[in-house]
Amino acid sequence: MTQRRSYAVGTGLFIVLGFLALAYLATQTTSLANFDEGSTYDLKARFTNIGQLKDRAPVKMAGVRIGSVKSIQFENDKLDALVTISVDKRFDQIPDDSSAAVLTSGLLGDQYIGIQPGGSPQNLKNGDTFILTQSAMQLEDLIGKFLVNGNGDKKSGDADSASKPAPDAGQ
Amino acid sequence: MSAQAPRRNFLADGLAQIGDAGLFLPALLAALPRSFRYFRETVRQLWFVGAMSLTIIMTCGLFVGMVLALQLYHVLSIFGGTSSTGTVVALAVFRELGPVVTALLFAGRAGTSITAEIGLMRATDQLSAMEMMAVDPMAYVATPRFLAGIIAMPLLCSVFSLLAILGGHLVGVTWLGIDNGTFWSNMTANVDVWKDVIDGMLWKGLAFGGVVSLIAVHQGYTTPPTSEGVAYATTRTVVASSIAILAIDFVLTAFLM
Amino acid sequence: MTDHSDLRQAADEAAAAVQIRGLTTVLNGKTIFDALDLDIPRGKVTAIMGPSGTGKTTLLKHITGQMRGDAGQVLVDGQNVPKLSREKLFRLREGIGFLFQNSALLTDFDVFENVAFPLRQHTRLPEVLIRDIVLTKLQAVGLRGAAKLMPSELSGGMARRVALARAIVFDPKLILYDEPFVGLDPIALNQVLKLIRTLNETLGITSVLVAHELSAVQQVADHIYLIANGKVVADGKPADIAQDGSPWTGQFFGGQADGPVPFHYPAGDYATELGLAGDAS
Ligand SMILES: Nc1ncnc2c1ncn2[C@@H]1O[C@H](COP(=O)(O)OP(=O)(O)OP(=O)(O)O)[C@@H](O)[C@H]1O
Ligand SMILES: [Mg+2]
Repeated sequence: MTQRRSYAVGTGLFIVLGFLALAYLATQTTSLANFDEGSTYDLKARFTNIGQLKDRAPVKMAGVRIGSVKSIQFENDKLDALVTISVDKRFDQIPDDSSAAVLTSGLLGDQYIGIQPGGSPQNLKNGDTFILTQSAMQLEDLIGKFLVNGNGDKKSGDADSASKPAPDAGQ
Repeated sequence: MSAQAPRRNFLADGLAQIGDAGLFLPALLAALPRSFRYFRETVRQLWFVGAMSLTIIMTCGLFVGMVLALQLYHVLSIFGGTSSTGTVVALAVFRELGPVVTALLFAGRAGTSITAEIGLMRATDQLSAMEMMAVDPMAYVATPRFLAGIIAMPLLCSVFSLLAILGGHLVGVTWLGIDNGTFWSNMTANVDVWKDVIDGMLWKGLAFGGVVSLIAVHQGYTTPPTSEGVAYATTRTVVASSIAILAIDFVLTAFLM
Repeated sequence: MTDHSDLRQAADEAAAAVQIRGLTTVLNGKTIFDALDLDIPRGKVTAIMGPSGTGKTTLLKHITGQMRGDAGQVLVDGQNVPKLSREKLFRLREGIGFLFQNSALLTDFDVFENVAFPLRQHTRLPEVLIRDIVLTKLQAVGLRGAAKLMPSELSGGMARRVALARAIVFDPKLILYDEPFVGLDPIALNQVLKLIRTLNETLGITSVLVAHELSAVQQVADHIYLIANGKVVADGKPADIAQDGSPWTGQFFGGQADGPVPFHYPAGDYATELGLAGDAS
C-alpha cells in the first residue's frame, strides 16, 4: 500500500511540475508577459502609413515602454489607419499636443510607436486622439530619395532599378 | 526454416505495420471505458512513463538550449542582432525542437520500456494469466500505458522547453553578456502564446505522445512471444516512432501555421 | 474404449462439470484434436495424461475459452464456451482457477500482491480480510514467509506454489492445474498433493490435473484420461489404467519410444533428410 501511495504522490508532483512549466512558458516568455497592465486608458492616433506595425507592439516615451498597440483598423472614409493604443494608468501626464510616430528599432528591427511630448498644460484623457502623427519611415522611399537627390546622371538610371524590387521585398 | 525465409519486403512490411497499428487503436479506445476501473494503474504508469523520464528530458533540454544560444549568438553577432538570441531560441524550441526532441527521447526512454514490458508479459503468459483471472489485459495493461503516454508528453515537452530557455539564458546572458532585460523583452515581444506555446507544447505534444505510445503498446502487445521477438519489437518501436514523429511534425507544422 | 462409453452412460449429465463433444482443432495444419469426447465429473479429481505436445495445455485453454476449436462443443456448467460473449466468458472465468504451466506470475507485484490480485480486481473486500485470505493461501503452500519477495527472487518450484495459491485464492468451483508437480521437491510435492486432495474433499472443488508423474497422479486422481493423436486412447481408475493391457497404456506408462504413441514430432523420413537414403546423387 505504501508503495502505491508513493507512486501517486510522485505522479502528482510530476503533473504539477509539468503544468507549472507550461504556465511559466505561457505567461513569462510570451506577449502575455506584457499584459501586466492592471489598468490602462486608450488613446487613438491616425497614420497615413503604419509600415509593419503590429498588434501589441510597444508604445514608448523617451525610450521607456508605457503601453502597447491595442488594435489597428483601416478607416474607410478617411483612407488612413486608426491605431488604438493602451497606456498604463500610471503615465497620465501626456500633454495633449504630443505627437505619435511609427518608429523602427535599429535599422531593420521591429516597429513601435514613439510619443514625443509636447508643451501643453492639458493632458490626454481616455479616448482622446493625437493631433500630430508621423507615419512610418519607409526604407525603400529613403533609399529612393537618397539616390535621386544624390549626384550623377548615371546613378539616376540605377535608382529606378534599385528602388523597384525594394517595395516588393519589403511588403 | 530460417535459411528459406522469404526476403522481407520492407515497404509491404511497413504498410502492414501501419495498418495493424491503425486497427489496434479502435481496440485500445474501446477498452477505455473499462480501463477507468484501473485508474490506479494509469497513475502508476504515469509515474514510470512520465516522472521517470524527467531526468533525461531536463538534462537534454538544458543542453539543447545552451548549444542553441551559443550557435545563434555567433551567427547573429555578424548582423549585430545578438539581442534576438532569446527570441530565436524560444521560437525554435517552442515550435520544433521542444516537441520533436522530447518525443524522440520519449520514444527511446519510455516507448522501449513499454514495448519490452508488455512483450515480456506476453512471452511469460502474464497477459493470458490476466485473461484467466477475468481481467482484460487490454484495459489493464495496454490502455493505461497509452493514456499515460498521451498525458505525459505535453508535460515533458513543457519541462524540456523551459529548461532549454533557461539553458539559452545561461549561455546568452550569464556567459556571453547579452543584457538580461533585452533577452526577455525581445522574447516576450515576439513569442505568441497560442501560435507558439500552445501549438507546440500542447497540440504537438499530445499528437506525438499519442503516436509514440500507440506504437509502443501495439508492438509490445503483438510481439511474437520469444526473447528475439521482444528485442525486435523494441527496436521497431524506436525506428517507427522516430519516422512517425518527424513525418507527423511536418504535417502538423504545415497544418498549424 | 468400452470402458469409456460405459462411463459416459453411467454418468448423470448434470454431474459432469465439463463436457467436451466432438472437439476438432487444427493448428498450423496439424490436427491437435480429432473429434475429441471427454467428460470431467463434478467434484472429482480428473487427470489428463499424454505425451508431450499432444495438446493437454491446449485442451485446458479450450475449457477456459482462451482458444476456440474449429468444430465441436465445450460445455462448462452447461454453457458452450466457444459461443460465449466476452462478458459471460469473464464471469465464467471468475469461477475457474487456472495454474499455468510456467506459473505466469505478474512480475510487477510481489508474492502477496500476486495472490491478492484476483481478489482486488473482483471484490471490494476490506484490506484486513484480503490479508487474511492471502496469508491463509500462502500458508497452505508453505510460502507465507515469502510474501514480500518479488517473482524474480523465487525459485521455479516456489513460483509454482505461489501460482497455485493464486489459482485457489477465490475458492473456485473448478480448478485446472497444468503440470503442478514440475520442479517440486518430494516434500513440497506431498504438500501440493495433499492440498489438491483437501480442496477437493472439503470444498467439493472439481479439479482437472495435467501431469506426467504417474505415481503422484495415482495418489490423487479419481479418474485418468490418456490422450494421444487427438483422441482419448484410454481411460479408467488410476489403479487399473496402467494394467489395462492396451498397447497405448503399455507403451506410455512403460516409457518405450516405439509403439502407437509417437515419440517423434511428425517428420519426413530420417534417412532421406540426412541424405543417406536410396541412390546418393
Ligand atoms: N499457438 C499455437 N499455434 C500453433 N500451434 C500450437 C500453438 N500452441 C500449441 N501448438 C501446438 O499444439 C500442440 C500441443 O501443444 P500443448 O502445449 O497443448 O502440448 P502439451 O500436451 O501441453 O505438451 P507438454 O506436455 O509438453 O506441455 C503442439 O504440437 C504445439 O506445437
Ligand atoms: Mg503443456
